[in-house]
Amino acid sequence: MKTTVPIIIAFLSGFVMILAFFVSPESVTFGNFELEPEVLSWVTIVGGFTLLLGVVSIVRVNYNAVKRRNDGWVYKLATLISVFAMAIPAVIPNGLSPLFGTGPGSIYDWLFNYLDAPMMSTMFAMLAFYIASAAFRAFRTRNTEATLLLVTAVLVMLWRIPMGEIMLKSIHESIPGLINTYIMNGANMAVQRGIIIGAALGAAAMSLRIMLGIERTYMGK
Amino acid sequence: MNLWLILAYVLLIAAGIFLLYKAFKSGDRRFIYLAVAFYVIFPVLITLHLPIEISPEVRQLYKAVESLPDSATVLLTFDYYPSTLAETEPMSRGALHHLFRKHCRIVTMTTVPLGGPSIAERVTRNLAEEYGKVYGIDFVNLGYKANYVAVLKGMGSSIETIYPTDNSGTPLSDIPIMKDIKSYSDMDFIYVVSDNGIVDYWMSIVNAQYDIRVGTGVTAVMAPRFYAYLQAGQMTGMLGGMKGAADYEMLVNQPGTATKGMTAQSLVHLFIILSVIAGNVVFIIEKKRKRQGAKV
Amino acid sequence: MRRGLTISGINVLAILLMAFTFAVWPLSAPVMADSSQVIDDSTTPEILTDTLSELSSDSAVVSASDIMSDKPAQNDSVFRTDRLNALVLMILFSIVILVYTKWAREGKRLFIRKISGLDEVEEAVGRATEMGKPVLFIPGIQEIDEIETIAGISILGRVARMTASYDTPLLVPVRYPMVLAAGQEVVEQAYIEAGNPDSYNRDIVRYVAGEQFAFTATVNGMMMRERPATNIYMGAFFAESLLLAETGNAAGSIQIAGTAQPAQLPFFVAACDYTLMGEELYAASAYLSHEPLLLGGLKGQDWMKILLIILIVIGIILASFGFGDWYFSLFESM
Repeated sequence: MKTTVPIIIAFLSGFVMILAFFVSPESVTFGNFELEPEVLSWVTIVGGFTLLLGVVSIVRVNYNAVKRRNDGWVYKLATLISVFAMAIPAVIPNGLSPLFGTGPGSIYDWLFNYLDAPMMSTMFAMLAFYIASAAFRAFRTRNTEATLLLVTAVLVMLWRIPMGEIMLKSIHESIPGLINTYIMNGANMAVQRGIIIGAALGAAAMSLRIMLGIERTYMGK
Repeated sequence: MNLWLILAYVLLIAAGIFLLYKAFKSGDRRFIYLAVAFYVIFPVLITLHLPIEISPEVRQLYKAVESLPDSATVLLTFDYYPSTLAETEPMSRGALHHLFRKHCRIVTMTTVPLGGPSIAERVTRNLAEEYGKVYGIDFVNLGYKANYVAVLKGMGSSIETIYPTDNSGTPLSDIPIMKDIKSYSDMDFIYVVSDNGIVDYWMSIVNAQYDIRVGTGVTAVMAPRFYAYLQAGQMTGMLGGMKGAADYEMLVNQPGTATKGMTAQSLVHLFIILSVIAGNVVFIIEKKRKRQGAKV
Repeated sequence: MRRGLTISGINVLAILLMAFTFAVWPLSAPVMADSSQVIDDSTTPEILTDTLSELSSDSAVVSASDIMSDKPAQNDSVFRTDRLNALVLMILFSIVILVYTKWAREGKRLFIRKISGLDEVEEAVGRATEMGKPVLFIPGIQEIDEIETIAGISILGRVARMTASYDTPLLVPVRYPMVLAAGQEVVEQAYIEAGNPDSYNRDIVRYVAGEQFAFTATVNGMMMRERPATNIYMGAFFAESLLLAETGNAAGSIQIAGTAQPAQLPFFVAACDYTLMGEELYAASAYLSHEPLLLGGLKGQDWMKILLIILIVIGIILASFGFGDWYFSLFESM
């Protein structure tokens, strides 16, 4: 029962969504009840309840670390303060003060624009440094494929910068055009399509296995 | 060209080579990070203007927008997070310069809750002031609504159902520009600027089903994925990363942060290429030494 | 013990589905246009999912039933004839998968090629055990309704069983609460099945942050402090892929990654020791378990791919000679 009921629910849920894809919407509409949109709304509602789980988890883990004065407990305390500093003013109704709520001028908005957004940009900017060190380490002519990877990467990197385009054009006028045609619109596009098709087939096969109860590891079985 | 500028850049390149040598010697990657930091910060302070070659896909997008009649209606999306502002905001700015210059009517919206509406508000109003455009008459910001599939699909039949009010809470019925813009069929072009996979939905839901032209600006990492759409003719032009944004700025004759960023991008790319080549030279020499050592 | 629905049950369901299709297809009675419009959750893949704030306000949420339409439905019949080609392919796909699954159940030996990354998972966990360091596992950064996350959670179950057997510490930071719930369930079950329930601690799987880069920063900090011996990234990743992989490299971890995001594969290939590409991620659960039923599904999927290749080659030949419009129309929506 403990295993069968979830499998049946998984099968029926999947079957309903497949059916909704092939059948015109009016056929699965009963008065004000529309099947597919209704199911999609249920997903949102269930997600809302599970938000509490996340908050409980983050508070418990960090609180325990602060209580035990583990290494770096000060940062855990900062995490807890940040969670509540942002959440509490945001949920208080805006009517009480313009500082509350999530609209422009609120504490939430200020914290987002002046702390969160710059930090997000900083993390993204770190990619530039990491790409440099990854390229430095990974692009080695160990074998033919690695050499091909290296040469292609160098050509595309040159193609994407003005200085590089000038250098390539000085060798031959048509080289940037050839890179665009044969590398970006040729090999790159073919490989992207191949990977996407393969991944889509893999996802479809996995979905079918889940629906039929063959794959049950996601349930812990 | 200014001799001091040339000298400054020569010194910069020499510093980079020195740091690369230190990285090899010590094996500490932080020398590489330091070199990258120099190559990013320095050009921002002392810009070297480089000639930019326009990519064909950028030119395609420019021509598509240029061919729109004046006073055409364009939907401009701000589907990006604050983390990618460096790449995507110049695209939005370039698009707005182009569209405002052509006196197009602009409807902006976003499918990104974190920062999307406020970025749209800030960027659009900032440029509108420059062109003397009036909110509600020349442009409107619809803001954000959750459930992006429903939003994209729903706007095909009724924008007002999805967005009863604009981002500030004004009912759409009270906004003059929206009086005759009811759905995609009242629009001439969709200009999507995005840093996430929403572009696939714009193509599959909107372009495929409502037969409206869609042009995009995406980050450099995502750009290779969308050449398939370009080749199939589904996408009308694409700006790929900061280079694409810089190309567009050149075409609309409004050089901005993307054009300035090209110098930094050029230097960093050249440094990475140099480090890769140097690394391989060292690798090959060491390999030969090991082989000779093994023979002995 | 029989797994899942029985083959005869599956046959019945398949027949019912086909019968339903052919029964309703000829119906041409006009359907009353209702006030709602279908939300088309198409086959396109990944997107960065919205975070907590999409649930913060009722007025910000569009429910599908809000969408009013005065236009009549495009199709008058119950069945969407413009999707007939998709239905045919889907049925064919299902039949191929089920046939191979049946053969696998009957004991037929199925060859699966070697996937180095997956072969190394046990070695990597062993390395962590020897070093006395934890294993860090990240099941992607998308929600539980994404198939990549489910694949990641499935692999987590297998890895958790290994860490439970070897009594190796396991860290699983997650980005969404539903993934937290699923992950905790899977890991707890793995520890029970491995006969080591006492080592299970519900904080093995922990929710760290809902925002992409906040999650990345937290995990990077975890890597630099805890110095895991092994990092396993299995699921959907986006811009943070290189940040995670490079930090893991700096921390001296052995790294195995798997994702179906084409844009992130180059970063993982450059920074990780082993990378699973695209469908190898979905095959991982079957590969690690060596269960015949799951392997049967893999083989079926491969035959489907061969069929698609044949169809593409036929299309190329026809297009090269300038005819075959009828062939291309078979694959278009009507």
